[in-house]
Amino acid sequence: METLFAILIGLLVAAGVFLMLSRTIVRVVLGLTFIAYGVNLAILTVAGLRQDSPPLLTLEGPYVDPLPQALVLTAIVIGFGTTALLLTVALRAYQVAGHDDVAAFGDNLARDPDAPDGQHADPEHLSPDLPEMDHAAETAAHLAELERLRRITR
Amino acid sequence: MTLAVLFPLLMAAVCGLLARPLGRRSGYLAALGFVPALLLAVPLAGNSVEAGGTPLAQVTNWVPELGLNFAFRGDGFSLLFAVLIGVIGALASLYSVAYLSPHERFGRFYPYLLLFGGSMLGLVLSDNLIALFGFWEMTSVTSFLLIGLWHTRSEARDGAIKAFLVSALGGLGLLAAVALLSVAGGSTLLSELDLEAVRASPLFVPALLLTLLAALTKSAQLPFHLWLPTAMEAPTPVSAFLHSATMVKAGVVLVAKFGLIFGSSPLWSGIIVPLGVATMFWGSWRALKQTDLKALLAFSTVSQLGLLMALYGLADAEGRFAATTHLLNHAAFKAALFFVVGIIDHETGTRETFRLSGLRRKLPLTFVVAGLATLSMAGLPPLGGFISKELFYEAMLHAGPGFIAVAVIGSALTLAYCARLIRIFFGDFRAPEDDGGRLLKSEIHEAGPGLLLPPALLAGAALLFGVLPASAEWLARRAGTALGFAGYEGHLELWHGVTPALLLTLLTWGLAALLVWQTARVYFLQVHLEFPVSSNRIYRGLLIGLETLASRLIAGTQGLALPDQLRITLAAAGLMGGYAVWRAPQVFQPLEGVPLSTLPIAVLLVAGALGVLLSRNRLTAVVLTGLTGFGSAVAFLAMRAPDLALTQLLIEAVTVILFLLVFRSLPGFRSLPRGRTRQIIDVGLAGAAGIGTTLLILASLRFLSPPISPYYLENAYKGGGGKNVVNVLLVDFRGWDTLGEVMVVAMVALAVGSLVRLGRRGEARSENDTAPTLPDLLDLQERRP
Repeated sequence: METLFAILIGLLVAAGVFLMLSRTIVRVVLGLTFIAYGVNLAILTVAGLRQDSPPLLTLEGPYVDPLPQALVLTAIVIGFGTTALLLTVALRAYQVAGHDDVAAFGDNLARDPDAPDGQHADPEHLSPDLPEMDHAAETAAHLAELERLRRITR
Repeated sequence: MTLAVLFPLLMAAVCGLLARPLGRRSGYLAALGFVPALLLAVPLAGNSVEAGGTPLAQVTNWVPELGLNFAFRGDGFSLLFAVLIGVIGALASLYSVAYLSPHERFGRFYPYLLLFGGSMLGLVLSDNLIALFGFWEMTSVTSFLLIGLWHTRSEARDGAIKAFLVSALGGLGLLAAVALLSVAGGSTLLSELDLEAVRASPLFVPALLLTLLAALTKSAQLPFHLWLPTAMEAPTPVSAFLHSATMVKAGVVLVAKFGLIFGSSPLWSGIIVPLGVATMFWGSWRALKQTDLKALLAFSTVSQLGLLMALYGLADAEGRFAATTHLLNHAAFKAALFFVVGIIDHETGTRETFRLSGLRRKLPLTFVVAGLATLSMAGLPPLGGFISKELFYEAMLHAGPGFIAVAVIGSALTLAYCARLIRIFFGDFRAPEDDGGRLLKSEIHEAGPGLLLPPALLAGAALLFGVLPASAEWLARRAGTALGFAGYEGHLELWHGVTPALLLTLLTWGLAALLVWQTARVYFLQVHLEFPVSSNRIYRGLLIGLETLASRLIAGTQGLALPDQLRITLAAAGLMGGYAVWRAPQVFQPLEGVPLSTLPIAVLLVAGALGVLLSRNRLTAVVLTGLTGFGSAVAFLAMRAPDLALTQLLIEAVTVILFLLVFRSLPGFRSLPRGRTRQIIDVGLAGAAGIGTTLLILASLRFLSPPISPYYLENAYKGGGGKNVVNVLLVDFRGWDTLGEVMVVAMVALAVGSLVRLGRRGEARSENDTAPTLPDLLDLQERRP
């Protein structure tokens, strides 16, 4: 029975990973849910699946292992929390970005090849790591970029 | 001995705390920190060390299972060195009280100095190889702090980083060497290494090379000498300490001590001696070029270290005896000279040789001290340096004619730069001016006793070593047993007859006179003779290359869109996991009896997963996800876990509601293409993840250790008063975990609430979407002037 479940769990995880790699944000969330299902079942399976009594002392022994059950109980709740949080983040990301394409959510690091830390501390002093840099040129470029963005949005 | 090592570290904390109320006077406390090291002179003076009696040993257990102990061993050499560190450390502390400005950050300076001295003491006294490495790295770190003390100056920062990078590179080599040695020698104690086993081991040559890397980087030998001259950015008392007794001598200590292990191999002296002699030549050549007194001394240290390395590298009794004598001489005159340069800098405001002249009239006492120390450095009689230089020639005579030639030229250059150094005291006095012609100091007067006494003592020692060679010999002989020259018969004498060494000395003097006579031509040659390859240039290139590589790597892996980043992570995990699976013993159990009741569960789970993959409608997708959810609830029931099934059912219902709520404001499923290659990669990754999980579960089915569950089953009712063991476990046995879980859920609730409230209205703005596109970047670059 453990072998059967191991294969089933493998299928669930594979489906989850494939979904996580897709570009639609909801699919990513669903993918995570599937991985969570797989992991929950895996914890129980690893402890061994025997046809004993549930760990309720009112019943006759021998009992199955109660420890993984307690762990999975926690995992289910936390998994739900993660899903809920991700869903709302997805919603917010859609509202802010205007689309739900994960692959188009960028990262500031790739944006400015000159700034080693990826972000500007303040417009007067753009890259604190490079004190000898020509800040005037950098500031001009930055302002020009802001102006361009303003034109696009207008 | 443990006290001697730990006391400076302790005093560092005290100094740091008391620096505010005491100010510069905390320097006296710092000097006090070196007192236990000075007390080591008592056992050193005893006869037991010389006679080869049992050396002092102290072992404090730390992690004995791993061979980690604080084992200190005071054989003659270690004790001699420790006393040297103590003397110069204490003198440097006293000197700096008078030297440093009252506005200096004493709360940093003295603690750093003490930490540095303490780690150096630990380095020379430690018998445990791993602790030796630890102290070694501590000296790197503390010297980094000391060199960078005036961190507002970019030169100081650069010097500190350079010193640290170079010596830390060697430190890594030492770590590997120490590991190899302890494996091959069967002990982590240097004194208990099985030398025969080490020599027979195939690890011998790698360990030798790695040890050499460490020693050469730390002692600034030829390819790695670049950090030492820039280390002069440290305050002068530190330079005196660093150049004479500590940091740079660490490599010498290593070569001296490990020479007993590796010396039998021709590779050992075959590498060290040529490098040492070359370093001696190159250092003195560069020293002659300097116009800054401190830089001159720094390069002279490089040169003298080369000499020491070459002598210890010979790995015979004669060389070790000569080296130990010169070690003492060098410590005395070099520290004295650094102190003198500090005085000159302090009193005149400059260290440039061409601005200074005739100082003899204004600073007569300093002149005497400087004169003695310089004579010793130049190797002129009747000072200590002369005697050790004779021994050096004696040793080089045995090494070969090429070595003699380089050694003579190097010594002549040494004499020449000594002449340049001492010249600032002669001639007419001229008040030093800056480039604009203004006076640097309105009045120049002799330094106070606080500045003069330390160098005077050291210069006195240099004189004593020369006039009374027996004193130096007596001291050097202390190290005899430890370094294996106890049976060596050589004696130190000023006049030992007309020997080849004396003839070489006369030749050196002649060459030096020529060099001094033709100063202008030599200088012209030096300025115009530029070598295309300098290690500084290589260092810069490596540093820039490393930075470029690092930022490329970061930009290439961290700046990607989410799916790509996930792909890279999963691929890496898959590779490592795949390697593990490939290497692991394969355990496969046959598909044993499957009850018919589990088949519907299997169908339910798989149907949900496949359905979601194929569905084009988001509502269908959520319903199908629910299918898998209910499937796993049923599976929990079949696995005899009713609580889990109940929870899963509840959560499933809530999840579906949540999805439906969110879907009101999200667009429908769009079919976003992945591209064919990505599709294939994704299928591969997903498959690998699935197969990996399956194999992992199959592999973990055997218990690695006895299960702890019986404890819970037995104690649930007695301890928790409940008959549902899972509940008791959660609420009683693992109550804190459950509390943490509740906190997580509460935080998620808060986060979800605030996120939902933030986005009541859809406020899609394209400039907030930070996805970079190629045209964007090109546009940006074009706008840059």
